[in-house]
Amino acid sequence: MATSRMDAAGMKPLSFGDPRHLEAHQFLVDESYLLDAQLYDDWLEKLTEDIHYLVPVRVTTARSSEFDTSPGMAHFDDDMYSLKLRAARFATEHAWTEDPPSRLRHYITNVRSFETETSAELFVQSAVLLFRSRGDNREPNFLSATREDILRREAGMLKLAKRLVIMDESVVRMQNLAIFL
Amino acid sequence: MNDLSLMLADVRRGMIPAYVYNDEEVFKLEKEHIFERSWIFLAHESEIPAPGDYVVRRILEDNFIVARDEAGEVRVMFNMCLHRGMQICRAELGNASHFRCSYHGWSYRNDGKLVGLPFHNEAYGGEDGFTKIGQSLLPAPSVATFNGLIFVNLDPNAQPFLEFLGDFAFYLDFYTKQSGDGVEVRGPQRWRVKSNWKIGAENAAGDSYHTPQTHRSVVEIGLFREPTGAKRKEGALYWCDKGGGTTYKLPPGTFRERLRYVGYSDEMIDRMESSWSLEQQRLIGDDGFMISAATLFPTFSLVHNWPKVDANADDDEVVPFITMRVWQPISATETEILSWFIVDKNATEEFKEASYKGYLMCFGSTGMFEQDDVENWVSITSLAGGSMARRLLLNSRMGLTSTDKPLNKPLADFHGPGLAYVGYGEFNQRALLKEWADCIEKPLDETVQLVMGEKVVASDSKGGGK
Repeated sequence: MATSRMDAAGMKPLSFGDPRHLEAHQFLVDESYLLDAQLYDDWLEKLTEDIHYLVPVRVTTARSSEFDTSPGMAHFDDDMYSLKLRAARFATEHAWTEDPPSRLRHYITNVRSFETETSAELFVQSAVLLFRSRGDNREPNFLSATREDILRREAGMLKLAKRLVIMDESVVRMQNLAIFL
Repeated sequence: MNDLSLMLADVRRGMIPAYVYNDEEVFKLEKEHIFERSWIFLAHESEIPAPGDYVVRRILEDNFIVARDEAGEVRVMFNMCLHRGMQICRAELGNASHFRCSYHGWSYRNDGKLVGLPFHNEAYGGEDGFTKIGQSLLPAPSVATFNGLIFVNLDPNAQPFLEFLGDFAFYLDFYTKQSGDGVEVRGPQRWRVKSNWKIGAENAAGDSYHTPQTHRSVVEIGLFREPTGAKRKEGALYWCDKGGGTTYKLPPGTFRERLRYVGYSDEMIDRMESSWSLEQQRLIGDDGFMISAATLFPTFSLVHNWPKVDANADDDEVVPFITMRVWQPISATETEILSWFIVDKNATEEFKEASYKGYLMCFGSTGMFEQDDVENWVSITSLAGGSMARRLLLNSRMGLTSTDKPLNKPLADFHGPGLAYVGYGEFNQRALLKEWADCIEKPLDETVQLVMGEKVVASDSKGGGK
């Protein structure tokens, strides 16, 4: 439906037993742990210097339309500089929206890995469900999305080089996106 | 709700009953007295540049298609089929020559005209049973555009928009007319916060006092060089007719030097020079004030800011951005924020990208400023629903003495219209809530009822006021 997404068709899927798939899957689970714990400096270590982290605004369009994300508008369209600033802000003593911190849980599932034309890079799809709870009397919030990642091997380690997050809601039911997906 | 006249009197003297931020009865009054007869921003013309382009927007529960018809005219139509009331257009944006109802297949041209009615002869005996000719989707009662901004008022006898806007237009130009060709917008981002709509509107209207505390973190990380306490209190607060805003005092310099200081290039400044009046230019050049946040009553706010966007930039290299938003009420305790990025249509692609990046870093759903704002507003709204909040009057009298005199005199040589003060003060929040109180108090008019395109005046559908 959406033309803005990377297209897995034509790429060679890796079997679930393939060591490269297992490694990619482990990367996502390890990353999830860091995001849940808000260990953002460690998370930044898992990103390549040329990271592109993109979360377009999802929109409701007719099935016949050739798009289902907002033309030109995203929630995140970040590079390493802006991601580092976001992390640095959470590390100050004055980022009120996360102090006290949210209780976060990133559930990662539906992981599929694909070979790309570049042997150092894997294309990995996953689904993410984020649970976020703040304080004691607010309803918790969920965010559901699909992710399309490029994982690149650098110095023997997989790193996240590109992430496209397609949210499942057009109107975000969360007070802000002071989180990462 | 406590006694209405007492509540309004408290609001007018700047003592705000805390419960007005979380009260079903207050919200019911707001629906009828404010949202059914105020000018509400729906869309910008640049969102629907080509014939057939449309977006779908709301005023509370009322859903409208904002479309550009084949003749290029902007139409705002109630998104409800004349037959059984189904929502005609169920996408939020796209391009269509016609809208066809999914229930029984009635179809409408993108100017609203009813053109298709299946089995018209068999079902109605043709025109005799149902007059198709001349029928169209219900048009929005009152529509106006200004600098490409499309406003709608549910009151067919609304005060004309330009009259309502008054001299606030002077300030709106800074955000939405940086060149003769105007601006283009991206967005909106849409998200819901468990906050009463008034809190955001008040904040943008005049709360320069919150910046040093709420937004301390963005200064600490070097994203923004301005919002320290000292800088903010040097800015002027202005209120003019139905809107007001905050400004920053810039270092000494000319009109051009000061615009350069916030990151505009000479070619952009050239265009501003030719689109803004001499008085508008003097506000920057002579008075040294740069517009920052603003609100036009009731729910339309704007922000102009100049963060450091580039990793390799010098300390002083900033890029300005502009955003506008609507605080769309969902209930007494919930608001949907629709937030757009605005940029001069004639700016270079390079500037547009950098400015957009600045917007995403600072405002909107992920903005590092805005993230902390909503945390506060959600908390206020939640507490305002309790019984203790009914006993508490929040002090919104900053800038006034006990005898209602301003602590500092209004600026005598300010080049903008309205009344302006330098220093911290809640002049604008009080002005906004005074406008709110006036609306709440104003009796309701008779409601015009529309039956299949025919106007029938109902004599007492709302009791004819109080």
